[in-house]
Amino acid sequence: MKAEIKSTKKIIRFMINDQAVEAEEGWTVLETARQYGIHIPTLCYHEAVTPSGACRLCVVEVFEGNWSRVVISCMYPVREGINVLTDSERVKNVRRWILEMLLAECPASEEIRRLAAEYGVTSTRFEIKNPEEQCMLCGLCVRVCKEVVGVSAITTVGRGVHKFIGTPFGKPSEVCVACGSCVTVCPTGAMQARLDRVRGPVTGPR
Amino acid sequence: MSKAYQIGVFLCQCDGRIESKTDLPLLERLVREDPDVAHVETLPFSCTTPGLARIKERMREKGLNRIVVAGCEARILLSKIEKEMMKEGFLEGQVDMVNLRDHVASVHNLSPEETAGKGNKLIRAAVAGLAALVPTPQERVSFHGPVMILGGGIATYAAAQELLRREIDCIIAVQTDEYEDEIRMLHEHYPGERHYYDRLRKIMEEVSESPYVRRITVGELTSMTGRTGQYTVTFSDPEQSGPPRTYEVGAIIACLDGQMLNQGSNFGHDGKNVICHTETEEMIWVHGVPSGKIVFWINDYEAGTPEFAYLSARCAWSMARYMAEKRKDVEITILYNQQMAVPLSADERRIGRQLKIRWIAYDGALRPTVQAGYVTYCDPKDHLEYELPWDKLILSPKRSLGVEATRVARILGLEIEEGKFLEVKQEKVRPDQIGREPLYLAGSARYPCDLHEALRQGRRAALQVAEIVEKDKRGELYAPRMVCTVDQSRCIGCGLCKEICHCGGITPVEGLGGGIPRTVDPMVCTGGGTCAAACPYHALTLQNNSTEQREARVAALAKLLADDEVMGFGCNWGGLAAADNAGVKGLKYDHRFYLLRVGCIGQLDPSVMARAFLEGANGLLLIGCPPEACHHSFGLDHTWSRVVMLKKLLHFSGLDRRRIALAHADLNHPEEYIAAVESFVRQINEMGPIEKNESNREKLAGIYATVNNARVRWVVGATLRRPWEETYPGDQRNALAFDKDFLGILKEEFTKSRITNLLKSQPRYFELKEMAELLKIDRETLGFSLQEMVKEGMISRVHRDGVAQYIMRS
Repeated sequence: MKAEIKSTKKIIRFMINDQAVEAEEGWTVLETARQYGIHIPTLCYHEAVTPSGACRLCVVEVFEGNWSRVVISCMYPVREGINVLTDSERVKNVRRWILEMLLAECPASEEIRRLAAEYGVTSTRFEIKNPEEQCMLCGLCVRVCKEVVGVSAITTVGRGVHKFIGTPFGKPSEVCVACGSCVTVCPTGAMQARLDRVRGPVTGPR
Repeated sequence: MSKAYQIGVFLCQCDGRIESKTDLPLLERLVREDPDVAHVETLPFSCTTPGLARIKERMREKGLNRIVVAGCEARILLSKIEKEMMKEGFLEGQVDMVNLRDHVASVHNLSPEETAGKGNKLIRAAVAGLAALVPTPQERVSFHGPVMILGGGIATYAAAQELLRREIDCIIAVQTDEYEDEIRMLHEHYPGERHYYDRLRKIMEEVSESPYVRRITVGELTSMTGRTGQYTVTFSDPEQSGPPRTYEVGAIIACLDGQMLNQGSNFGHDGKNVICHTETEEMIWVHGVPSGKIVFWINDYEAGTPEFAYLSARCAWSMARYMAEKRKDVEITILYNQQMAVPLSADERRIGRQLKIRWIAYDGALRPTVQAGYVTYCDPKDHLEYELPWDKLILSPKRSLGVEATRVARILGLEIEEGKFLEVKQEKVRPDQIGREPLYLAGSARYPCDLHEALRQGRRAALQVAEIVEKDKRGELYAPRMVCTVDQSRCIGCGLCKEICHCGGITPVEGLGGGIPRTVDPMVCTGGGTCAAACPYHALTLQNNSTEQREARVAALAKLLADDEVMGFGCNWGGLAAADNAGVKGLKYDHRFYLLRVGCIGQLDPSVMARAFLEGANGLLLIGCPPEACHHSFGLDHTWSRVVMLKKLLHFSGLDRRRIALAHADLNHPEEYIAAVESFVRQINEMGPIEKNESNREKLAGIYATVNNARVRWVVGATLRRPWEETYPGDQRNALAFDKDFLGILKEEFTKSRITNLLKSQPRYFELKEMAELLKIDRETLGFSLQEMVKEGMISRVHRDGVAQYIMRS
């Protein structure tokens, strides 16, 4: 469905998959694609929070003249004259790599397994460190707690391969309001298992 | 014919997640049929930048002032959409969301047409709720007067320092003018802090020299009334001879210090050689540091307060260090229970070694015994019992709130529990809420702490106050919108609301006989709403989220439900969250349940529950938080009382009591929610729908009138707790006795309501015989009620041909 825009903002005209599209200045390629019903898979993107570009699954190939670049569409601002390909070979290749790595990262996640199967990825050549792991460190829980709820009860702890999601000192958070927003936005259901560590016991002291 | 509201409905395709399961064009057509809808449109997304731009465009074009977004979770996305719309002049409460995706599309195995049908009903309910919304104007909260720091605690200076550095005017209410005196007496509340005195002096100097700080010397605090931004505080005259002193202030910081008492004689305390920390300090002030063997026994474990051992140990260390630095001929030992971790940093340990201060651990299983000149203890390492010689034995103090702090806290309206301190862990509801604490508290009366911590609390309290004062200076301080207000023309000052309110937002107004709880401080109110649902005189309204809106929603939905469909309310933290998560996980369940969103089920006035049945609902399920976990403290329990009342009234009407029910769901266990819903739907379907005949309609109208009756609401108000709870003092000595009385009262009022409804509907004379047949009430009950109503002047009675006839009083 086309979006006819009548506003005072600058209109940017470009192409997605050789289809002419219009966007306002400041929109991202992903937002524009979604406005036109063009599907780009995402995992760490959620409309309620600012995008972070953690999962790289939303990659697209941006052609400008003869040159092309593979960029993430969730943060790439629209530009006049580009042609964005959402399903080119390069893009599909990148997605398959990412999904294969994700299968190794969190093998226990049904959602990732289903998504990978959609792109033909059913096994992984990478080492599986923890077969029970469900968290893909997308950071949605952290962002929703900070931006939507406003308390920042959880955060990413550590760096690199030792990174995980947790609360200060590993103790149940004092500022958590037990709203469950983190559980609702978690794409893999990993937060469900962790929630009691964050909010403390349900029947806590008043 | 212009209405106050122009409602726009936006349906989301949501990247196919809704679109693939729902016949959106059909849904659009169905929604458009609602005369209250000014505009309906399908968008790819409502929540992205392009989507919001589109909504804003439409809003401007069509003059929309309320919108419903039929998309996904309100808990996650509503605030983003609201914030965007507020840029266009919307206010909080004018946007509603229906979770078309995770309450309908993802969770049922319905055809796209059926999904559209269910979506339409939920959207109609949301539209009806918005149509009934009466948005209140944005209320600015402003500060009339400086910040007052009272209570006399030492944290006063830290708080004042923080405020003066931000150029905020404050008044500090102290009982002496000389700050050296305060330092001299500091050890009564904070012993062992000599190393801090110089820093404290600097703070006090800065405070006394600042033009932003006004120092007043007053007697005791006698009263405090008002709300955030405008308080009136009264003190007695310091010489007890003059008139009381009154001040108009904007904010209050209460710095209260707890009391330090001496241990009892069971530990050998004699005030001379076996002393506590405070006495030690006093001794040092008067006689200087003693010589000889000084033993500090950290006996908090044995005194029953292990949580303060750390504090006592730090205090002992401070004093020990001071003593050892002043005299070379002291031998200091600190005897501590092995369960306690020695609270020293590495550097302090080094200093301790230099000063030859020994730390000796004892086995906590064997309580040390005090004898003349010796303390016997058991060494945890070799299990031998040793004797520790002492010239002076110094015990830990007993910490309590203290008489003065208790008195002041009561005047400030704080709840005090026997044996506890003032710190209260408030339920966290809205993190963005400013003015979160009813009062800013600092000092060891809040919770026993050392001087550093007390000053830190004072600074922190001042920072929080400064934040709002500065916001007010910028003209940006607005009261939250979904808070309660009191219609003072209806309020009689009974205080029920204050008793059941959990957030302390209901504040007194000066009146005859003292403070009458008649206003709400919007900065403190958490919007729980149980007060409004309980008020016998309907004097309280939860603004922008009112009972009228909820009644409109249930009425609209109930009219549309099929005979096998059931509705319910889910609270933001329990039922609704669990339902959302069930959808996110893609779990499937019975589609015959329609969930309405509410902040806390405690907000549900019994009239909302009665209205649902009156308009045709066959079953009503209320799903709240797990027991003891209600985010508004007692909303869940209050709902129980109201549900029980409805059950009794349904029973009187010959209808099945099980048609209304209360359930619990933990947001992290959506399967609990599903179990409750499916079980309830099954039960209601086994009962079959309520027969839609005049007799039932008349009875349900009677129920609706009864739950709005002041007397009934009064009696329910007295029971707003579970019968076995001891929290409120009450007259429930026998769990059953009250319930029987309550049944009697309900029956009476129910009968009276039905009579009133009948006589109002047909303005003519009725005989008892006829009424008994029409209402199917036995003559004795009916006769009794009619007699009562005549006596109370509600109806008139005449005698014709020897027969009594009744008519409504005009």
